[in-house]
Amino acid sequence: MIRRPIQPATALCLGVLSVFLLMSGYAWLSHRQHATNPKDTTIPNWSQLKEGVVSICKADKRGERWLIEDAKATGLRFFLGLGLGLAGSVLLGMLMGCLTPVEAFFYPPLSLLAKVPATAALAVFFVMAGTGTNMYVAMIAFGVLPTLTLTVCLAVKEFPEELHYKAATLGASHWEIIYPIIFSYVLPKLLDAVRLVIGPALVYLIAAEMVVGDVGFGYRIRLQSHRVNMAVVYPYIALLAAFGFGMDYALRWLQRLLCPWFGESRG
Amino acid sequence: MKPPLSDLALECQGVNYWFGPKRVLADVNLKVRRGQFLGLVGPSGCGKSTLLRAIVGTHLPCQGQVVVYHRSGGGEGMIVTGPGRDRGIVYQQYSLFPFLTAQQNVAVGLMLDQTSIPFRFFRYLKWRRLRKAHLKQAAEFLERVRLGDAMRLYPHEMSGGMRQRVAIAQALILEPRIILLDEPFGALDEATREELQTMLLTLYAENAQAKRRGLLPPYTLIIVTHEISEAIYVGDRVAGLSQYWDWKKAGYDKFPGASIVYDKPAPIFEPNAPRDFEAFATQRHEIRSIVFDPDACQDRDEHVTYWRETGASGQDTGLPGVDSPERARN
Repeated sequence: MIRRPIQPATALCLGVLSVFLLMSGYAWLSHRQHATNPKDTTIPNWSQLKEGVVSICKADKRGERWLIEDAKATGLRFFLGLGLGLAGSVLLGMLMGCLTPVEAFFYPPLSLLAKVPATAALAVFFVMAGTGTNMYVAMIAFGVLPTLTLTVCLAVKEFPEELHYKAATLGASHWEIIYPIIFSYVLPKLLDAVRLVIGPALVYLIAAEMVVGDVGFGYRIRLQSHRVNMAVVYPYIALLAAFGFGMDYALRWLQRLLCPWFGESRG
Repeated sequence: MKPPLSDLALECQGVNYWFGPKRVLADVNLKVRRGQFLGLVGPSGCGKSTLLRAIVGTHLPCQGQVVVYHRSGGGEGMIVTGPGRDRGIVYQQYSLFPFLTAQQNVAVGLMLDQTSIPFRFFRYLKWRRLRKAHLKQAAEFLERVRLGDAMRLYPHEMSGGMRQRVAIAQALILEPRIILLDEPFGALDEATREELQTMLLTLYAENAQAKRRGLLPPYTLIIVTHEISEAIYVGDRVAGLSQYWDWKKAGYDKFPGASIVYDKPAPIFEPNAPRDFEAFATQRHEIRSIVFDPDACQDRDEHVTYWRETGASGQDTGLPGVDSPERARN
């Protein structure tokens, strides 16, 4: 009974069924709401949702397509911030894991900063970097940096000392032991860690856009929520979910491509 | 009687080691000849691995030194100050890089030894060509140890025996001055262990061939093991490290740790000859009572007779043209 394997076809059917139940539950709620108030926008029905999607994609009065404008702004902020945070934490984490003085120097502040919610520190970034792209980038970068750095540092410390000595007896210099030897060992764990910080990074970004943005996903969702225009809000949320899902999938694919050895060798 | 310098590959000179206040190695002196296969045995916890680490250079001796003699004619000695490419090592575990295939694992030594990060980065095209040559060399090497089919496998896809075989190839390809094996077959089943012991005997046979052809024997090896039979079977010489010896008589007022208490030649076996363990039952019994028996209390040098037995007569040197006398049995 417990953990008994099932047919792949059965698993697929169950998955489809749960999505179907979710959709029909929504349709039923929407139907009930519209029976009492035909103009209701809190739980839009399918035709309202379709109008909402069209209004996102079509040019508005100022000739701007919301989806394009918002995706450009939010995407730039997200990838710049995540990229900078990633680069910084790989550099710092590798050095901390390899060199004990560096670790002793950075560990206390980082373990403290890792516990500060970046959204709470929004005002700090606002004061230091203004309201432009810089602010969002800095916020995401510093938001993910402590966690990622500590993950990399811990992964480096798991590197078996036998392999370290082995590399040295094969003529590796100190730098060569760090790159490519230790780096290759850490890479799959780094990709796993990046998968885990995508969620928090999106939270930081959307929250900041809701508070101070004038374009972007968070800004649009806040604006349309105030007007209870849920036909626009729901598709935006769905898009964010799809984006997070896609990133997760892409990173897993990248891990399989770059580190085919990882997975089975964990056991 | 001291052998000529060029004959030596490695020498431990008065190696002492302390863990805090606890002394584990007391004046360990050990000379290893070029082309020799030395089996090092001892009770568990006696400091075999500590001695091996001192030789590798990862944990330098607190007192004394390890000297590696280089290939070049005069046999110039170089004091060990850290791990280096002239001493290869095979551990029981974690000897292979998990992120490299068998072929890449063997080739990685060539890369690390012959190229640098700036070279691989700034002279990328030249590096690519060199890399191809390295991989080809590694492939040929793996064919030689009958692992041609496993070339593209990652360590986690290989059996324990294959992994150790690749690890030995990985160390051999750099032609180090000496190869150290730290309980290499401890985690393997009996049949696989025998297979790998045969592989080592094949290397020993290559040494003998080289000497007959007037070349220097290519492989020198220390194998640390807790199995006496393995040491006698694979080695042409067995040394025992033990904490059971008469240290009071030697002038120490406190227990000074383990030292070499046994060092004698061992019979040489042909790789494919049937195993006749009766042939060395006497020696095994002798080692057990001298090295492994907690009640043993003899002079440290009483059974350290290797150089007296072989050195004075000039027999069995590591130099070409001077082959060992027919000690081979079977």
